Amino acid sequence: MAQPAKVTKVTKPGGKDIRMFFGATSGSQKTATQTSGSGSQPRDAIEISDDDSIWMKAAAAKSVPRTQGTSKPSKVAPMVVSDDEAPKKSVAPKRKKVVDSDEESDEAQGSPPKKKKTVAASKPSKANHGVLLSSDSEEEPAKSPKKKQAAVATKPSAAKPKPRVSEAKKPRASTSKRKSKKDEDFIADSDEESDMESPSSGADELLAPKAPSKKPAKRATAKAKVEEKPATKGTTKEKEKEKDQQVSKPKFNWAAAKAAKLAGPVAPGSKEVPDGAPDALAGLSFVFTGELSSFSREEAVDLAKRFGGRVVGQPSSKTDYVVLGDNAGPSKLAAIKKHGIRTVNEDEFLNLIGTRKGLGNGNIDEKTKKKMEKEQEAIRQAAREMEKREEKEKKAAAKGTKTVDPSSQLWTTRYAPQSIKDICGNKTQVEKLQQWLHDWQDSKNSGFKKPGKHGMNIYRAVLITGPPGIGKTTSAHMCARLEGYTPIELNASDTRSKKLVENGMNINNTSLDGYIKGTHDALAAGVPFTDRTCLIMDEVDGMSAGDRGGVGALNALIKKTKIPIICIANDRQAQKLKPLMATTYNMSFSRPQAAAVRSRILTIAFKEKMKIPANVIDQLITSSQSDIRQVLNMLSTWKLSSDTMNFDEAKTLAKMNEKYSIMSPFDITSKMLGPYLFSATSRETLGDKMELYFQDHSFIPLFIQENYLKTQPAKLRDLEGPEKTLKQLELMDCAASSISDGDLVDAQIHGPEQHWGLMPLHAVCSAVRPASFLYGTGAHYGGPGAMSFPQWLGQNSKLGKLSRQLTDVQIRMRLKVSGDKAEIRQSYIPALFPHIVKPLMDEGTSAVDEVIERMDEYYLSKEDWDTVVELGVDEQRDEVVMKKISSATKSALTRKYNGSEHPIPFHKALDIGKPKKLAAGPAPDLEEAFDMDEVVDELSDEEKKSNSDDVDVTTDKLIQVAKKKKAPAKNGKAKK
Amino acid sequence: MSLWVDQFRPRTLDSLHYHHGLSARLKSLASSGDFPHILFYGPSGAGKKTRITCTLRELFGPGVEKLKIDQRIFLSPSKRKLEINIVQSNFHIEITPSDAGNYDRVVIQELLKEIAQTQQVDLNAKQRFKAVVINEADSLSRDAQAALRRTMEKYMSNMRIILCANSTSKLIAPIKSRCLLMRVAAPNPQEMEEVLNYVAKRAPFTLPPEAAKKIIDDSGGNLRKAILVLEALKMQSPDLSGPLAIAKPDWETYCYKVADLIVSEQSPARVMEVRAKFYELLSHCIPPTVILKTVAERVVEKVDESLKADIMHWAAFYEVRMRLGSKKIYHLEAWVVKVMSLYKHFFYDMDMSSFD
Repeated sequence: MAQPAKVTKVTKPGGKDIRMFFGATSGSQKTATQTSGSGSQPRDAIEISDDDSIWMKAAAAKSVPRTQGTSKPSKVAPMVVSDDEAPKKSVAPKRKKVVDSDEESDEAQGSPPKKKKTVAASKPSKANHGVLLSSDSEEEPAKSPKKKQAAVATKPSAAKPKPRVSEAKKPRASTSKRKSKKDEDFIADSDEESDMESPSSGADELLAPKAPSKKPAKRATAKAKVEEKPATKGTTKEKEKEKDQQVSKPKFNWAAAKAAKLAGPVAPGSKEVPDGAPDALAGLSFVFTGELSSFSREEAVDLAKRFGGRVVGQPSSKTDYVVLGDNAGPSKLAAIKKHGIRTVNEDEFLNLIGTRKGLGNGNIDEKTKKKMEKEQEAIRQAAREMEKREEKEKKAAAKGTKTVDPSSQLWTTRYAPQSIKDICGNKTQVEKLQQWLHDWQDSKNSGFKKPGKHGMNIYRAVLITGPPGIGKTTSAHMCARLEGYTPIELNASDTRSKKLVENGMNINNTSLDGYIKGTHDALAAGVPFTDRTCLIMDEVDGMSAGDRGGVGALNALIKKTKIPIICIANDRQAQKLKPLMATTYNMSFSRPQAAAVRSRILTIAFKEKMKIPANVIDQLITSSQSDIRQVLNMLSTWKLSSDTMNFDEAKTLAKMNEKYSIMSPFDITSKMLGPYLFSATSRETLGDKMELYFQDHSFIPLFIQENYLKTQPAKLRDLEGPEKTLKQLELMDCAASSISDGDLVDAQIHGPEQHWGLMPLHAVCSAVRPASFLYGTGAHYGGPGAMSFPQWLGQNSKLGKLSRQLTDVQIRMRLKVSGDKAEIRQSYIPALFPHIVKPLMDEGTSAVDEVIERMDEYYLSKEDWDTVVELGVDEQRDEVVMKKISSATKSALTRKYNGSEHPIPFHKALDIGKPKKLAAGPAPDLEEAFDMDEVVDELSDEEKKSNSDDVDVTTDKLIQVAKKKKAPAKNGKAKK
Repeated sequence: MSLWVDQFRPRTLDSLHYHHGLSARLKSLASSGDFPHILFYGPSGAGKKTRITCTLRELFGPGVEKLKIDQRIFLSPSKRKLEINIVQSNFHIEITPSDAGNYDRVVIQELLKEIAQTQQVDLNAKQRFKAVVINEADSLSRDAQAALRRTMEKYMSNMRIILCANSTSKLIAPIKSRCLLMRVAAPNPQEMEEVLNYVAKRAPFTLPPEAAKKIIDDSGGNLRKAILVLEALKMQSPDLSGPLAIAKPDWETYCYKVADLIVSEQSPARVMEVRAKFYELLSHCIPPTVILKTVAERVVEKVDESLKADIMHWAAFYEVRMRLGSKKIYHLEAWVVKVMSLYKHFFYDMDMSSFD
């Protein structure tokens, strides 16, 4: 199993990644693994063992092959660290990880200059090397039981999910310890544990690395056990000794420290987030790719945003850094290469946060600075304008010319855009709308014949669609006002039934209102109609029960309107809006980018004297899915309690106001089968995963089943050749049998039992569990391995259709044939095929008579003939067969068949009388229940019978007894 | 001209070619005046329906051969129309409950009540009761079977029920105990040869024994299949001499192709290919158990001895699951993946051992 690990390193551009290994000092014992060359030859395991006697141990810090920018992340994976008893007190100032603390590390601690711990061994071992043995450790058991040993077994990364990052703030030592403990438990080495419990060494920790997922856990564990045993024995006693020695050790083993620094994460998830300046990453743009070892993608992205960085999806020449994780996508790697972007790994990224000083310290180049200043200026400027306007309005209000004081308005009204440039996003759409309104009168004069620049001018109305809160209504109002129209808005709070729409708008021009009232104005919603009026029908998809016929009437109105009409809706596809499709120009508004909204929100915040950094605003905007109205509402609520907001507060606030969003089954499938949901750094709980199933519990299992084989399972990442194939089949097997389990559960849910309480189990069996085996890259949109819609639905309805047709064939043949449906399909159709189909293929038209004769023999009609052809598979598939029959023959058959008389076995009962209704009573499903029923029913039947037989004797019990005997006899007679 | 299998079907108990003991018993039952409910069971193509028809004829006379088909329409509680086909003569009625799908219980109760409540109108009829033949009784749902129990006793005076099933394993014990069980075993090769020769004589032509043997081997005890194959062969080569290639039915060759796919490569892509083929078979009304059985037998032929038991074990395992579950394809696929995994493991194990 222990093959030499081959690790391909990728050197980072920065050149920091070279590790150095050192044998620490001349020890009485030589460390087995001293290598001076850095990482030249990755060893499977590195151990460091100390002699008990002297601090001059061979500190063999094995250099870890792991490069920071490692291209192959998986290999690098977490190391197992064995700690000596020494608690790690010192926190490395930088975010480097200490991998192992050997005794050496303890020594290192003693040394003042750097607080880093030495790292024992980190190993890039492939999945195969479950355990690394240092030669020292091997020797130890033999030599002296007392030697202290730190055995480090490094395992591949597949570590458990780590504690939350938030914990990271705790003293590091504790975290790592906890972690290591966890790992141990996982491996469940009883030996180890007992050792640890032994009184002498409290702190001793042996880490058995977790078996990489790829390896069968068993094997790995077994090995780990073997190797750890000797190691642990030595440890307990010696720890204390070492401690003493440590203290006396003055020397700092800088090489080991360096190794530790570079060694990578001790335990995923345990990394502390440095307390960097809030704008530490300001002005930088990041791309994340691959899987980071201790953060999930979202966390990492969050982190970047929290410190003011910008996160973009695809690397471009403008990207400042690419944070590389394991298994980065090849296309991104290519882009990185192409643009020569700086890459950093996770640790360096954290480092960046911790050390970069952000804006204040001149770290930022001139350009960015200027840009930012400019932005600030613009914001201040806009805020001033706003202020001025409000002043004016206030005055107006005071004078009584205007009724509303702006300060009493909702923010959404108060800060509604006043000019085109205030509108966030959808600029072109708004311009088009304005242009259309501008041209409307001309269009009307030309009879809506000239399409105009955007092809809009042939429409009398526009239908604006888009998600809520992105300014559809606002834009419509503003455009109308800007073009000199008086907007009349009818929305869901107005009744808009057919009658009201017709009367209100006077569509048919039947009303004499105008004459009688003596005005020439038609009144709608209290606003006089003129030709400078514009009707805005808001929320047209909300025209519901109370607005019967409203859409139709609206449509009629649109067809002859003399004023522009703007309809607004959320869902373009809605069935209800079908009629409007042809008569309106369809304009869809999309969610604006966060960047487009940001400055506006910042302006408002500034004006409201709230201190909210841009990245916080961004967070609010993205988490509300660019719903500007919601952001404003959130802010105005927040303003009541506080004037500042930080990133976390923004997150919680947004979370509280979260809209329940429904994902499409495709999104859910791609999320479930994707590489992140089940990765080691994923933070989703089982409940979260099941929640995905419940978004659409009837479809998700079908989608998973359809697509689960289309991934490149992440669990196979480090396997090659036969082992990979075997493992893959094993995983597929697990997934497929879980899906099969799921179907059994489904049968309990949807079958006669109706055990709906089993749905969570179904969620796990049919969706979560299969995905947990085979998750990985690959299931996505487009491309050869694209996710597809479940075939099952189509195939099932095809089965239904064909089996109905087969029933028809069977019942027609029944007069001649005894077989049931299955027999007809399996034996008769293949037998009939040479008689009623093949001749047509071979002989063509001349065989038609013979075929029809044979069909008549079995009462088969022309439709049944089609069915027979349709039911064929393989060589007799209908397409194949039909291709071989010339169309002349086909039409000859049809003509001839229709032209002659044919025996009919029976008439379809379709149109005869009313069908009988079946009782819907629930069926008792227990045998016992039937027994009870039986008794009761029989009694009642019996009674009924006797009642009907003889009414007058029912009162007399004696007679009834006699009657009972007679009754059957009577029946019998009657029968005869 | 009908196919031979229908043309030369025996019409009376006396003319049946095999299971003479069974025929004799049926005959004496029919004449005894104390005819019980009967459950015929046995593999398809063994002659159950033929025997039922003969028995009915024995009971009621040639009148039972005047069949008429009636289509009844029921409205399910969910307002769906259910078309039920009923084959009947003056003396008996034949229903196939699988037509009714989930509503078989109510449909059967309805029909049986209706039949049981009307008495035999033909005064000249030999028997006072009517016979109800229930085809595919093993596809009756548990509910329907339970509902049948009471009916069978209650209406004993007016009707007898004849159940026809492939296996009794899916019938509940109370039903079985209310019926006289009649096992119609598949004919043995000698009996089949006798029948084939009888057919040949009637056709008429002479059937060379080698050809007969070949057909019998191929048919696996299914006499219907044997006769159909015989006729097909006769069409192919009128003298039935020389090497005969028995044409397999389309679905069978397709199943073989699937099996070959499984054995020749084991990969996710291959599983999906197999899945597509399974879908095609299933949607063309080949029962899933037949698919599984055919494919499994073919796979077993092609793999090493030590794997055979495992493969069959898992086939049986997933067949049960198919019956319990609702989406057959899931279980078929799970079996395929299992077989692939087994096969691959075996393959590599062997590989390694050969190097050792």
